[in-house]
Amino acid sequence: MGYRILDKKELAMNEVWYKIHAPHVAKKVQPGQFVIVRAFPNGERIPLTPVTWDREEGWITLVTFVRGKTTLRMANELKPGDELLNVAGPLGNPAPMKKFGKILAIGLITGMVEVFPIAKAWQEFGNDVTTLHVTPNPMVILKEDFEKAVSRHIVEGYDLQPGWGMQEIAQELVRRAVTKVRELLESEHWDLVFIVGPAGGQKAVFEVVREYGIPMEADLHPIMVDGTGMCGSCRVTVGGEVKFACIDGPGFNAYKVDWDELIHRVGFYTDLERKALEEYLKAIRGGGQ
Amino acid sequence: MAVKRKIIKERVPTIERPPEERIHDFREVDLGYTFELAVKEAERCLQCPYDYAPCIKGCPVHINIPGFISKLVEYRDNPDKAVKEALNIIWACNSLPATTGRVCPQEDQCEMNCVMGKVGDKINIGKLERFVADYAREHGIDEELLFEIIPRIEKKGQRVAIIGAGPAGLTAAGELAKLGYDVTIYEALHAAGGVLMYGIPEFRLPKEIVEKEIEKLRKLGVRILTDHIVGKTITMEELLEEYDAVFIGSGAGTPRLVRAPGINLNGIYTANEFLTRVNLMKAYLFPEYDTPVKVGKKVIVIGAGNTGMDAARSARRFGAEVTIAYRRGPEDVSAREEEVHHAKEEGIKFEYFINPVEFIGDENGNVKAIKFEKMRALDERDSRGKRKIVGTGEYVTLEADTVIIAIGKHPNRLIINTPGLEVDRRGKVVVDENLMTSIPGVFAGGDAIRGEATVILAMGDGRRAAKSIHEYLTKKRAGQNA
Ligand SMILES: Cc1cc2nc3c(=O)[nH]c(=O)nc-3n(C[C@H](O)[C@H](O)[C@H](O)COP(=O)(O)OP(=O)(O)OC[C@H]3O[C@@H](n4cnc5c(N)ncnc54)[C@H](O)[C@@H]3O)c2cc1C
Ligand SMILES: Cc1cc2nc3c(=O)[nH]c(=O)nc-3n(C[C@H](O)[C@H](O)[C@H](O)COP(=O)(O)OP(=O)(O)OC[C@H]3O[C@@H](n4cnc5c(N)ncnc54)[C@H](O)[C@@H]3O)c2cc1C
Ligand code: SF4
Ligand code: SF4
Ligand code: FES
Repeated sequence: MGYRILDKKELAMNEVWYKIHAPHVAKKVQPGQFVIVRAFPNGERIPLTPVTWDREEGWITLVTFVRGKTTLRMANELKPGDELLNVAGPLGNPAPMKKFGKILAIGLITGMVEVFPIAKAWQEFGNDVTTLHVTPNPMVILKEDFEKAVSRHIVEGYDLQPGWGMQEIAQELVRRAVTKVRELLESEHWDLVFIVGPAGGQKAVFEVVREYGIPMEADLHPIMVDGTGMCGSCRVTVGGEVKFACIDGPGFNAYKVDWDELIHRVGFYTDLERKALEEYLKAIRGGGQ
Repeated sequence: MAVKRKIIKERVPTIERPPEERIHDFREVDLGYTFELAVKEAERCLQCPYDYAPCIKGCPVHINIPGFISKLVEYRDNPDKAVKEALNIIWACNSLPATTGRVCPQEDQCEMNCVMGKVGDKINIGKLERFVADYAREHGIDEELLFEIIPRIEKKGQRVAIIGAGPAGLTAAGELAKLGYDVTIYEALHAAGGVLMYGIPEFRLPKEIVEKEIEKLRKLGVRILTDHIVGKTITMEELLEEYDAVFIGSGAGTPRLVRAPGINLNGIYTANEFLTRVNLMKAYLFPEYDTPVKVGKKVIVIGAGNTGMDAARSARRFGAEVTIAYRRGPEDVSAREEEVHHAKEEGIKFEYFINPVEFIGDENGNVKAIKFEKMRALDERDSRGKRKIVGTGEYVTLEADTVIIAIGKHPNRLIINTPGLEVDRRGKVVVDENLMTSIPGVFAGGDAIRGEATVILAMGDGRRAAKSIHEYLTKKRAGQNA
C-alpha cells in the first residue's frame, strides 16, 4: 500500500522527525498508543509513537532516535515523497484520562516524544502537568511544544564529554534523572509520576519515587514483533503475572513491574543488533556514500 | 461400465530432498510429482463410485477425488487439458489446493479409508491435488480458469468486510467475490495469509504459493487492507455501518504459555514468535534481513503438534541439536504423520512423558535448563481420545539454551473483546448452524470458532459462511426492494 513521507527533518542530533500520511491511524490514535512501522522489504517491524496528528488531514508525526540499523537506515535512506511500506495501528491502550491532580511526567532522551501527547492531554483534561526532559544537550527536542502544552517544562540537559561511549552517556543520564527527580519530589507535592525511557533509567527513577510512596505509571518498551498479541515477544511480568505489553500495556503500574527481567529482555539481541549496524555501516561506507 | 483395472500396490513416490541436504536450507523438502509420475499414481485409483467413495467422505470439503484423478488419466496425452479439467473439479470445493495438498493431515482425512489401503498403499491424494495446483499455477492454467469466471460475475452492490486474511478469511473473500459482492479484507499484519505466511515454514509451504493465491483474490476484485487491526484501527460497530455483513476469520493467535517459573527468561520463545521471526521476517537470512533470532546449540521444543514440528525443524536448520519434549506418549502426537517422519529423518529427538515445571536461568537471565516432571499414562481417555496422564513425582533436568513453547493457542484477544460478541469459556466465538455470531450480520469461522484446528476446516468454514452470507444478503436485498 505505502504511506507517504510528507516531510522529514533532523530535530536535533540523532533525532529525526517524520510526517507520514497514514489516515487510518490519524483517525483513531489516542495518547499512549503506538504504531508498528516497516520501512524496507527486508526490514524489521519496529514500534514508534505518533507524537502529533491531524485526523482531518490524515497525517501523523513520528520521531526516531537513531540508535541501530533500522532507525539509521530510515534516517539515511528515506526522503520526503518516499513511502513507508507499513504503518500498522494504532496499537496498545490509550493512557488513562483522569483527574490525577499534580503530575510529574518524565522523558529520558527520546522517551520524551511519547510523553508529549499524554502530558498534553492530561493538562487539557484539567491536571497540572510538569514535564521533565533528561537528555544530553544536543538531543533536546520539542522544547517549545512542551512549553505551550503543559504548566511547566524542565530540561535537565548535560553536555557530552569527549571519549564518552553509550555506557557513560547512560550512566550520566541515570545520575541526572535520579538527582533531579529527588529534588522535585523533596520540594513539592505530587499525585502521580509517569515515565518513558530506557528500562534501566526507569527503574532507577522508580526506586526514588518509591521512597516517597507516590503513585507511578511507566510505559514499557520490551521488544515487539507483531504488536497485536500474537507472538509474546513483548511479555513482561507485572504483579507476578505474565502480561503482553502490546495489548495489555504499554502503560503499567511501576510498583508492579519486574524491572530486572525487563532489563534483561530488552538486551537479549544486543550482539546481533550491533552486528547488523556494523554491516550496514560497512556497506554504506564501502558504497562510497 | 466397470473397467477392469490392474492393481498396482505400491505408491508412486514423490521426489524428496535427502535430509542431510535439506537441513542446511529452508527450501521445500518434497518436490512433488512430475506429470508422468502423477499419471502413474492416478492410474492406481480404483475410481470408486461418487456416492460410495470413502475418500470423498473423509475430505472435510468433499472434493470429488476420483473425479479429478480420472482427468489426469483420461487426458494423459494433453497435460494442460488434464490439469485444467482436474482443477475445475477441485475448485468446486477448494480454492487453495496447492496449500491443502501440502498441509492437510491426509492420513486422517481423504486418505484414511481409501479402498486401495486394503490391498496395498493408499492413493497419494494430497500429492496429486498439490500436483494439479502446482502445474496449473506454473502454466497459467489457474488464471485462465479464473478469467473465464470473472466476466460471469454479477455485481450485487452489497459490501462485505472480512476480518483476517488466513485461510478462513481468504476463502470467504474469494467465494463472496465470485458471487458478486464487494469484499474488503482487514488484516493486522503487513502480509496476508495468516498462519500460512507467519507460521508454516517455507520448507513445507513456499510463501510464493501463498502470495500467488492472494494475487488471484486481488484479480477477483478483493481489496486487502493490511496494517488494519479490527478493534483498534476500526471497530466492529464501524464495520457494520460501512458494510452489509462481516466475517470474522481472526484465527487463534494468542500463544499459550507454560505456567511455570522462569517462563520469561531470555531464550524462551513462543512458537509463534520464533516462527514469525523465521518465516514472516526471514530471520534465517539475518543480517541481510534485519530481524534477528537466536538459536542456541541445544534447543528444546515443548509440544508435539504441527507447530512443534515446524519449530523443531526450523531450529534444526540453524544447526542446533533439537529435542521435542512431549508430556504424552508417541501414539498421541498430533502432528501430521509426514512431518513427524521428516522430523525424525532430520535428526530431531523425541522425549515422551515429561512435563516442564521450571525453567532455570543463568545470572544474565538466559535460560540454561528445564526441569521436567516425569509423567505416566492411565488407561482412561479424555474427550479427544488421548490417554490421561498423571505426574509421577520424579523429575529430570535437561539442558537447553533455546526453548520453544508450542503447547497451543487461544483465539485472538482483540476480537473476542468486541462488545456484544458471544464467546465461550475458552474465548471461541459462538456461532449458530449458519455460522452467524450473536451479532446479526456478523459471521465467523476457522480457528476463531474452533480453537486450533486445520487449514481445510478453516477453508470449509469460509466457504460455508460465504454461502450463509449470500443467503442473508439476498434476503436483505429483497427486503430493501420490497
Ligand atoms: C511502545 C513503544 C514505542 C516506541 N516509540 C518510540 C519512538 O517514538 N521513537 C523511538 O525512537 N523509539 C521508540 N521505541 C523504541 C524503538 O522501537 C526502537 O528504537 C527501535 O526498534 C530500534 O531499532 P534499531 O534497528 O534502530 O535499533 P536496534 O539496534 O535494533 O536496537 C536498539 C535497541 O532498541 C530496542 N529495540 C530493538 N528492536 C526493537 C523492537 N522490535 N521493539 C522494541 N524495541 C526494540 C532494544 O532495546 C535495542 O537494544 C518504542 C518502543 C516501544 C516498545
Ligand atoms: C506452525 C503451525 C503449523 C500448522 N500446520 C498445519 C498443517 O500442517 N496442516 C493444517 O491443516 N493446519 C496446520 N496448522 C493450523 C492451521 O494453520 C490453522 O488451523 C489455520 O491457519 C486457521 O485459519 P484461520 O483463517 O482461521 O486463521 P489464521 O490462519 O490464524 O489467520 C487469522 C488472520 O487474522 C488476522 N487477525 C487476527 N486478529 C485480527 C484483527 N483484530 N484484525 C485484523 N486481522 C486480524 C491474523 O493476523 C491472521 O492473519 C498449523 C498452525 C501453526 C501455527
Ligand atoms: S482438501 Fe485435504 S482432505 Fe480434502 S482431498 Fe485435499 S488433501 Fe485430502
Ligand atoms: S477411495 Fe481411494 S481408490 Fe477409491 S476413489 Fe478414493 S482415492 Fe480412489
Ligand atoms: S509484540 Fe507480539 S505479542 Fe506483543
